[in-house]
Order: sequence, then C-alpha cells, then structure tokens
Amino acid sequence: MAQNQRPTTFLDSFGEEIIRILTPVSICMFLVVLLVSILNSNSSASVTSIATIAYSETSSDSSWDKFLGALLNSLAFVAVVTVATFILVLLFYLRCTKFLKIYMGFSSFVVLGFMGGEIALFFIEEFSVPIDCISYLVVLFNFAVVGVLAVFMSKMAILVTQGYLVLIGMFVAYWFTLLPEWTTWVLLVVMALYDLAAVLLPVGPLRLLVELAMSRDEDIPALVYEARPVTHHDSGSGENTVRRRVWRERRNVRHDSEDNSNLDGNVVSDSNSTVVAVQHCHNGSIIARVEEGQVSEGNAELSAPLIDHRMNGQDGMSTESLVLEGMGLGSSGAIKLGLGDFIFYSVLVGRAAMYDFMTVYACYLAIVAGLGITLMLLAFYQKALPALPVSIALGVLFYFLTRFLLEVFIVQCSLNLVMF
Amino acid sequence: MTVAAGIGYALVALGPSLTLFVSVISKKPFLILTLLSSTLVWLISLIILSGIWRAFLPLNSKTWWPLAILIFTSVAFQEGLRLLFWKVYKRLEDILDAFADRVSKPRLYLTDKMQIALAGGLGHGVAHAVFFCLSLLTPAFGPATYFVDRCSQIPFFLVSAIIALAFVTVHTFSMVIAFNGYSEGNKVDQVFVPSVHLAAGMMTLINFASGGCIIGIPLLFLMAILTLMHCGRMVWRRLTENQRQGNS
Repeated sequence: MAQNQRPTTFLDSFGEEIIRILTPVSICMFLVVLLVSILNSNSSASVTSIATIAYSETSSDSSWDKFLGALLNSLAFVAVVTVATFILVLLFYLRCTKFLKIYMGFSSFVVLGFMGGEIALFFIEEFSVPIDCISYLVVLFNFAVVGVLAVFMSKMAILVTQGYLVLIGMFVAYWFTLLPEWTTWVLLVVMALYDLAAVLLPVGPLRLLVELAMSRDEDIPALVYEARPVTHHDSGSGENTVRRRVWRERRNVRHDSEDNSNLDGNVVSDSNSTVVAVQHCHNGSIIARVEEGQVSEGNAELSAPLIDHRMNGQDGMSTESLVLEGMGLGSSGAIKLGLGDFIFYSVLVGRAAMYDFMTVYACYLAIVAGLGITLMLLAFYQKALPALPVSIALGVLFYFLTRFLLEVFIVQCSLNLVMF
Repeated sequence: MTVAAGIGYALVALGPSLTLFVSVISKKPFLILTLLSSTLVWLISLIILSGIWRAFLPLNSKTWWPLAILIFTSVAFQEGLRLLFWKVYKRLEDILDAFADRVSKPRLYLTDKMQIALAGGLGHGVAHAVFFCLSLLTPAFGPATYFVDRCSQIPFFLVSAIIALAFVTVHTFSMVIAFNGYSEGNKVDQVFVPSVHLAAGMMTLINFASGGCIIGIPLLFLMAILTLMHCGRMVWRRLTENQRQGNS
C-alpha cells in the first residue's frame, strides 16, 4: 500500500498562537463559571467596594433607579481607575520603577492571599471541609508567596507562572461577580468605553504610558500572560525574522473589601490598564532581550502568523508602535495578553452563569469571536487598538439576545421534543 | 438526578463529538478555529430564527401544524446559511492557497479540505447539542428528574440527549457531503443534505403525538445512519479516485 511521504501542509500549525492564547482564556472563564455555580447559594453576600459607593442596589427599586444607580457606581469606579492610571504614568515618568515592581508584587500577594483565602473559606463553609486554622494559614501563605515569586521572579517553569496568572485573574473576576447585577453590566460597558478612550485618544493615559516607555526603551513591570512562543523556522531570507519587543503594562484592579473590620471600609483600587507596545526593528538591530521561558515548542514550522506579512512591509529603523489593549506580539511570535482582559471576560461569563447556562455558552462564543475580530483588526489597521470593547460589546449583545429571544424559542421546541 | 446522571446525559449527547474533537480536531489549531467559528455561525442562525418567531410564541401545544411551519422555515433558513458558509469557505480556501504558495509549502490536500468540512459540521452539531440539550440539563444535576407527557417512559433529559446525538451525527457528516457536493458539482449530494435535514426535522414532529417518540426516535437514527453511510461511501470514492490520480 502506498504510504504518505508527502510533506505536511502548513495547516498543521497555522493559527497556533491564537489557540495558545485562547486556551488559558477559556480555562479562566470555565473556572469562574464553575466557582459561580458551586458557590452561588449565598446570593446575599454583597460586597461593599469602590464600585458600590454611589449606590447599593436593592431589589425593591424601580428599573430606572437601578439603572441610574448602576451608572453612578460605574462612573465613580472609572474615575478612580483613570486617576490611578495617571498616577502610574507620573510614577513611571519619575522613574520609580522599583517602587512599581514592589507594588505589583504586593498587590499579587493580596489578591492571592486575601481574595484566594476568602474564596477558600467559602468552599470550606459550603462543603464542611475539616481543616484547622494553623494549617490553613500555612498553606495559604505558602501558596501566595509562591505565586508572587512565580509572577515576578521569572525563573520558574512557565507552566507555574501561567497557572498563577490564570488564578489571579480568576479570583479577581469572581469578586467582581459578587457585585449587584445592574452595576456589573453597566460597569462592563463603561470599562469597555474607558478602554477605547484610554488607548485611542491622544490624551489617554495608556497611550501616554506606552509612548513614554517606548521613548525610553524600557520595560514596565506588569502582570502579563505570555503564551509559549512558537518556534521560528527561518525559511527564506533574514527579512522574515522580525524581532518584536512587546511589553505591556498592567495594573491589577482589585478591591480590598473584605475584612472591613481591619480596613474600615477603606478601599484601595488601582487602575487596570493594559497596554501593549509592539516595537519592531529590522534585522539589523536586534534587541537582545530574551524573554524568560522561551521554550521551543512542537514542530511549528511557520515563520510567522498571518499578521507578519504586513509588518514586513515596514522599512528601515522605523519603529512601528502598536499599542493594543490586552493583546500583543512578543518576540518570536508569542502572543501576550493582559490580565485585565482575562478578568473582564470572566466577569461577563460569570455573570451570565448566574442566569442560566445557555447564556454562558452564547457569551463564551461571542467573546472568542470578539478576540478573533480584534486580532484581525490589529493585522489590518496596524495601530493601537483596545481588545476589550469588541468582545464586551458582542458578549453583552449576545447575553441579552439569548436571554430574551433564544431561550423562549428553544424551550418551546425542546419541551415538545421537536428539534431541527 | 445527581451530578453523575447529569454528566451522563451530557456525554450521551456529546460523547462522539468529544472523541472526534480530541482525536482529529485538536491536532490542528486551524480546525479548532473553524469549529469555533462554525458554532458561532449556527448560534447566530438560531438567534435570528428565534427573533423571527418570537412574536408567535408560545405556540398552542394542541395543534401540530404551527410546529411544522416552524421546522420548515428553520431548516430552509439553515440550509441557505450553509450555502453562504460554503461561499465564504471557498474564498478562505483561495487565501489559504495563496498563503501556502508564499511560504513555499504544498497547497491544501483533499484530506485537509475534508477535515475542514468535518470541523465545520462538528461545529454545527455541537451548536445544536449545546443549545437544544446541554443548556436544559441544569436541573438534571440536582436531586430530581423530569418527564414530559408525550414521552412518559423515559426522562426528558435522556430523550433530548438521544435526539441530540442523532442530530449531531446528521449535522457533522452532512457538512462533509455538502462541501463535497458543491465542490464537485454533484447534484445528488447537493440535494441529499437539505432533504435529510428536513426529513430529520419533520420526524421529530412524530414525537408530538402521544407516545410517538417510540417510533420517531428510531426513525431519526435511521436518518443518521443513512447520512453516515452516504458520507463514508462518498469519502471512500473520492480518496481512491485521488490516489489513483496521484499514482498515475
């Protein structure tokens, strides 16, 4: 029998980078949905945080009141985020990089330790797990410290780092889903709009930050998820090796809302801004910046994703800066994604899970579609693009369409056992 | 009835698709993307259909002909969408071939094209199973179960899972048949797919009669087996033709 000696087509590895970033996003969303469906019995646990200072929702208010209240909440939240981002820009301008790094580490510790600990407490309550205080504290402390080390000291196995980043995103997202319903939806929409403004407007803080970082040729300490890079096989001329340097800056958004007794209702919130700068220079001046954890993976033989062929058109030393919210291209083709995107996508899906699973599936597909569209737009426009708005818009749209249109239709058909 | 039963129902509906996914589709990232986009397209088709029919729901559950009209319009719409899907795929194929030429790799083989069609069909099947069966399974994870009057011998969840299994098979393989029919210009294949889809839809109407599911569901599975056999025959024929062409 004739055997297949023919060479493999490029279809074997085409689109691999996209899948490498889709997988952790899907895992994070899945974990948040799981958490929400397991722990949702205590719906009365409302969170007082900076997102509810203007108005706390009660089910007895009218729809218009709820909407107005939610809007006020969201605007307050976005205002705080904007101020914090500007402070960040200022600090970066004054070169307080060490302070920023330490602050990042501290915020990761708080997220993993306090938020993670609170969620673990929910679990212990729900399932009556027999564990004593001392062991619990020891385990939690170790868990949090390893997480901080994994995220900031980059010598760990990349799987551990990626796992911890997904966990951080999951914890923050779960906390956001504890907000009241109207506030969550309006907050998502307002954050998407803020993102659009912060990245595209010339006075936007994220744009300023990236331009600053690029003009100084520096890195910004940030919480970034990096997918494993795809190996390059330099078929063809050296023109194909496009060195790209990506960094993104991301600050974690969180609320310190638990332990009100200690913090006295004191809320700390940082701006959640993700910025990715892609700088690519020609082959002549390769920026020798080895990103950690570059492991040659698999048998990917393609030299570049579809996006690459457009970038090859740039000539000389012109640095093309692509500031993309939540998405970027690392050197050797790995995609980096900011943690804020993980968080807000998971919040949307988690909130959809509180209604029904049909909305979860619909919103998941919508968000993935939004991600794909953003990548395509990036390849097409070659300029700064935020990744949050498209996905959030599609997700919210699909949620409401599914909730009000699809569900009735499907239930009608299914209960009569009539399907097509 | 407990988590085990819930997972069991989900696997009845989606088990074969999961196997197909793990063994064939997860090996090539492009196929995963095709699967996701196909699922999205069919979800959008379901949303549009529900939008159109929203004004007429809830239907009177005594008469069967509104449901027949519903099925007929839905199947017609979805088949039209399949044609559109094919046109978009054709354009994508040209882009992919141009890209292959540019990175000096061989163009898409027949098996690659069939795999893409399979991924598209699986997306359709998964969309059906997820929205018609899986999303209604949430109560099955709890302590009780539910029976419908029309088919009172087995729980509702099991019935919908079995029907979903049949439909997943029909959808997955009709996409392969359809793409092949459009690319070869084979009239038989082109007509086969819509008629099987319509027949399968109409057969679920038999479930509407009381106790009708005993007849309806086996007939539905007959359609699924028919689709499978036709697809297998067609694929075998094309592959042997291709091999003969390649060797000569």
